Amino acid sequence: MKKLTYFPGCSAHGTSEEFDSTLKLVLKTLDVELEDIPDWNCCGATSAHVMTENLAYALPMRNLVLAEKLENTTMGIACASCYQRMKVTKVHMDENPELAKRINTTVVEEGTYQGTVDVKSMLQYAYEDIGLETIKSKVTKPLTGLKVACYYGCLLTRPKNITKFDSPEYPVSMDQICEALGATATEFDYKTECCGASFSISNTEVVENLSGQILAMAKESGAHAIVVACPLCQSNLDMRQPDIEKIQGVKYDIPIFYFTQLMALAFGYPIDQLKFPKHIVPVEGALANIGKVEPVPEKVKKPIKAVEAESEVK
Amino acid sequence: MARVGVFVCFCGANIADYVDVPQVVEEVRRIRDVKYAVEYKYMCSDPGQGLIRDAIVQNKLTSIVVAACSPRMHEKTFRKALSDAGMNPYLLEVANIREHSSWVHQKDKKAATAKAMDLCRMAVAKSIANEQLHEISVPVTKRALVIGGGIAGIQAALDIADARIPVVLVEKSPSIGGKMAQLDETFPTLDCAQCILTPKMVDVASHPYIELIPYAEVLELQGFVGNYKVKIKKKASYVNFKTCTGCGACWQKCPVKVPNEYNMGIDKRKAIYTPFPQAVPNKPVIDAEHCTMLQKGKCGICAKVCLPGAIDYQMQDEIIEREIGAVVVATGYDMWDPTPYEEYGVGRFKDIITSLEFERMVSANGPTNGIPLRPSDGKVPKNVVFIKCVGSRDEAKGIEYCSKICCMYTTKHTILLHHKVHDSHAYVFYMDIRAAGKGYEEFVKKAQVDTGTTYLRGRVSKIYKKGDKLMVRGEDAQIGQVVEVEADLVVLATAVSAPKDNPELARLLGISYDKYGYLSEAHPKLRPVETAKAGIFLAGCTQAPKDIPETVSQASACAAKVCGLFAGDTMKKDPMVSTINNEYCSGCQNCVTVCPYGAIVTDDVPIGHGSKELRTVAKINEGVCQGCGSCVAICRSMAINLAGFTDPQIINEIVSI
Repeated sequence: MKKLTYFPGCSAHGTSEEFDSTLKLVLKTLDVELEDIPDWNCCGATSAHVMTENLAYALPMRNLVLAEKLENTTMGIACASCYQRMKVTKVHMDENPELAKRINTTVVEEGTYQGTVDVKSMLQYAYEDIGLETIKSKVTKPLTGLKVACYYGCLLTRPKNITKFDSPEYPVSMDQICEALGATATEFDYKTECCGASFSISNTEVVENLSGQILAMAKESGAHAIVVACPLCQSNLDMRQPDIEKIQGVKYDIPIFYFTQLMALAFGYPIDQLKFPKHIVPVEGALANIGKVEPVPEKVKKPIKAVEAESEVK
Repeated sequence: MARVGVFVCFCGANIADYVDVPQVVEEVRRIRDVKYAVEYKYMCSDPGQGLIRDAIVQNKLTSIVVAACSPRMHEKTFRKALSDAGMNPYLLEVANIREHSSWVHQKDKKAATAKAMDLCRMAVAKSIANEQLHEISVPVTKRALVIGGGIAGIQAALDIADARIPVVLVEKSPSIGGKMAQLDETFPTLDCAQCILTPKMVDVASHPYIELIPYAEVLELQGFVGNYKVKIKKKASYVNFKTCTGCGACWQKCPVKVPNEYNMGIDKRKAIYTPFPQAVPNKPVIDAEHCTMLQKGKCGICAKVCLPGAIDYQMQDEIIEREIGAVVVATGYDMWDPTPYEEYGVGRFKDIITSLEFERMVSANGPTNGIPLRPSDGKVPKNVVFIKCVGSRDEAKGIEYCSKICCMYTTKHTILLHHKVHDSHAYVFYMDIRAAGKGYEEFVKKAQVDTGTTYLRGRVSKIYKKGDKLMVRGEDAQIGQVVEVEADLVVLATAVSAPKDNPELARLLGISYDKYGYLSEAHPKLRPVETAKAGIFLAGCTQAPKDIPETVSQASACAAKVCGLFAGDTMKKDPMVSTINNEYCSGCQNCVTVCPYGAIVTDDVPIGHGSKELRTVAKINEGVCQGCGSCVAICRSMAINLAGFTDPQIINEIVSI
C-alpha cells in the first residue's frame, strides 16, 4: 500500500466532486491510500497571486509546511490551479532560501519550511509514479472504440521550468494513459490552448469564444469526448457547451470526462459510481462507441515521388 | 647613468581635454633620469616622430618613454622612430595615458592628470632597466593547410595556390563544395550556385599547387607558426580512386538505400555513392555503416560490376602527415535543429520543412526536379508560409544572435517559389528585414513587388492542422491583431549554428571558440581573420554566420595573410619571449602545464659541467612563445625571464609610485 498526501482544493468538494470521488476509486484499485493534509487552506488562486506577493506564497507555503509533517514525500493535487500555485511556491522557495525565510515569517505557527515534499498533479502522479504498465494491468473493461481528445489546458505542463513535466506545447501523458485504457487519443492540436478559465463568470463571452474553438477542434479531430485533468477546464467546456452550440449553430454533444472517470470505467467500476449525472452534456452517446470497431481505412497511396539515385547516373 | 626622453602626446583633444599635459611634462622633468621631456599635439604624426628622432640624437638619450595611446595602437610606429634614429627599438616604453586615464576619468581632470603622472613615472622607471633586444628569426615551411572544402576553403586554397604556394585541402565529406553546392540560386543576383561554384571545384582538383584530400579529417597539429606538423586521417573509401573511372555502375546496382544527406534526406542514395553528380572528386565512396558487405560480409555486387576492379573491401583508414607553415580553418556551419519549437509542431507535421530542404526542392538538380512538393501528399503547394528567425534572436528557445543570411535567403525563396509555382502565394512572418549589403535592399523591395508576397510583422505562436492544411497563427503587429494563415507548406528559416565538431577541432588546433562554438578571431575589428595562435586563420561561417560574398572576401583575406607570412624564407617575431635559466630550474614542469600555447617542453641537461648524469629542465620554443608571462608567474624558482618584462623592470615600475 502506497501512501500519498492529498490536496483536494476547494473545487473537489463542489464543482469537481466527480473528479475527487473517481480519483479515490481509481487509487483504491491501484493500492494507493490518500492522506489529507490536516487543516489545509485555500491555495490563493487566482486572486492572491495577482494582488500580493506575500499572500501568493504564504497561502501555499502553509499547506506545504503542514504536508511536511506527514511522512509522505509527495503531495498529489487534483486541481490544476492549486497545483500551479503550490508548485510555483515550492520551486521559488527551493531556489531562493532568502525568500523562503521572509515568507516563513507570515507562516509562523505551522513551522519552518523545509522543502521536503514534492508537488505533483494527479496526472503527473498517475503517469510517473503509477506508470502506464500498472494502469494497463488493472484494466478489465477496455475502452476500445472510444476516441478521445486529451485536453491539458494551460497550467498542467507550464511553465516548463516550473512543472518540469511533459511538453509545454504538445503533452502526451494523458494521451498515453487513455491509450493504456484501450481508448484512442486523437491528434488534437488544441490541447494546451486556453479555455478562458475564470472569465467564465466575469466575461462569459471570452470563454464561449475560446472554449468554442477547443470544442470545434476536438470535433475536427474526430473525438467522441474530451478528457481533462482540471476542474475549471471541465466546467467551462461542459457547462458552456449548450451556449456555445447556440452561438455557433453547431451541435457538438461532446461530453467532458475527467481522466479518472475513464480510468474507473475501464477498471470495471459500475457506471452509477462515476457521477455521470453531474455532467451537463450527456455522456451516453460517447460511451456507446465503446466496443465498436471501426473498419481499417484503406492505405493512402505513398505520396512524394522523389527522383531515385538511379536517375542521377549519367 | 640613464638618459631618458619623455614625449607626452595631446592626442588632439582626446588626452589634453582631460589631462593637464603641460603639468605632466613639468612633473616628469623633475625625475632624476629624465634628461628631456616635451609635449606635442600628435606624437604619432611625422613631425611628432621627428621630434623623437632629433631628441635621441641631440640629447644622447638611452631610453624613450612615449605617453600617448595604447601600445596596441602605436607601439610599432614609435619603435620604428627609435630605429630610424639608430636606437634599439625595444628601448621604448609606452605609457598609455589615453585609454587608461583621459578616456576613463573624463569627469575628474585632476585625478586623471595625477594618474597620467603615475603612468609616466612607472614607464620611466621601467625603461631604465630596458635592454637591447633583437627580433627573432624563425624558419618557415611554405605550405598551407586548409581545413574544410566549402566555398571558404575553396577560395582560400585557390588564392594561396595561385601565389604558387602549395596547399593541402582537407575535406571531411567525399566531395568538396560544402553547403553552397546544395543551393539553387544565390542572392541578390540569382546566379545559379552550381554554375559559379563547380568551375572553382574543378580548378581545385586540377591545380598543380593543391593537394586535395577528401573524406578525411585532421587528427593532430603540432609545432608553431611556420613549422607545423599535421596528422590527417584519410577515411577508408573502399574504392581505389586511381583505377576508378567514375562510371557509376556500382551505385546503379547497389541494393542498399540510405537517406541522401545532399538532398536533406528527401530522397535516397545508395551505400556506395558520390554525394551529387558534379562532385569533386567524382569518385564514389562506400558508406561503411550501411554497406551490407562491410557489415555482414554479404553482397559484393559493386565489386562484381566494377570493370576496372576498383572496389577494395579491405581498405583501411590511412594516416597522412604533412609539414605546413600555416592553417586556414573553414569548417562552415550547421543548420540549427528546430525541434524545440514544439508549438509549431516540428516533427509532427510533415509539411513543415526547413529552408535548406526547400532549397533542395526548388533546385534544378534536386529530388523533386525543381518543383516544391508537400512531403505529406506530394501535391504542389499554393499557399506557402515562411517563418523567419526560427532559432535566431530567440533567447528562450534558440540562440541570441541574428543569423544574418535568413532575411535574404527567405526573400530569394519567395522569388523561387513564384518562379516555380506561378499561382502560388507566399506569406512571410518576420521580426525585421535586415537587408544590409550591396544590392540587398533593392533585391528585397523588388521581390516584394514582383512576387506580391504578404509580409506580416510578428511572431508565429502556433501551427495546427485543419484537414490537410496547416493553420499558422501569429501576430500582425502592424494592425495589432492575431492573424491565421491557411498554409499548404510551412518553411522555417532555421538559424545558422556553429559546426558541432568545432570545439573538438579548436582544442586540437589550440585555438579558442565562443559560447556558441564559433571559432574566435584575434580582434573583432582589426584582426578578423587571425586567431590568437600565430599562423592559424579563419574563413567563413566557422567564425560567425555570413553570406557568400563575405565568406569569399574573408577567405581571400586569409590567403593574403598566409602569403604575407610566407613572403620571406624566415619569419620575424617580437623578441618578447621567455627564457629559462637552467641553473635555477628545478624541473617541476609547472610552466609546461600553464603554458597556453604549448611552447614549453622538457630537456635533459648534465647535472654539472662535464657530468654525464642528466636532469630534466624546462625548455622554451621561442617560435611558439607569445610572451604572455604565465610561466614566469608560476615558476617557484624564479628561473624564467620574460624579455621586455624582466623582474628589474617590473620592480622598478612598482617602486616608482
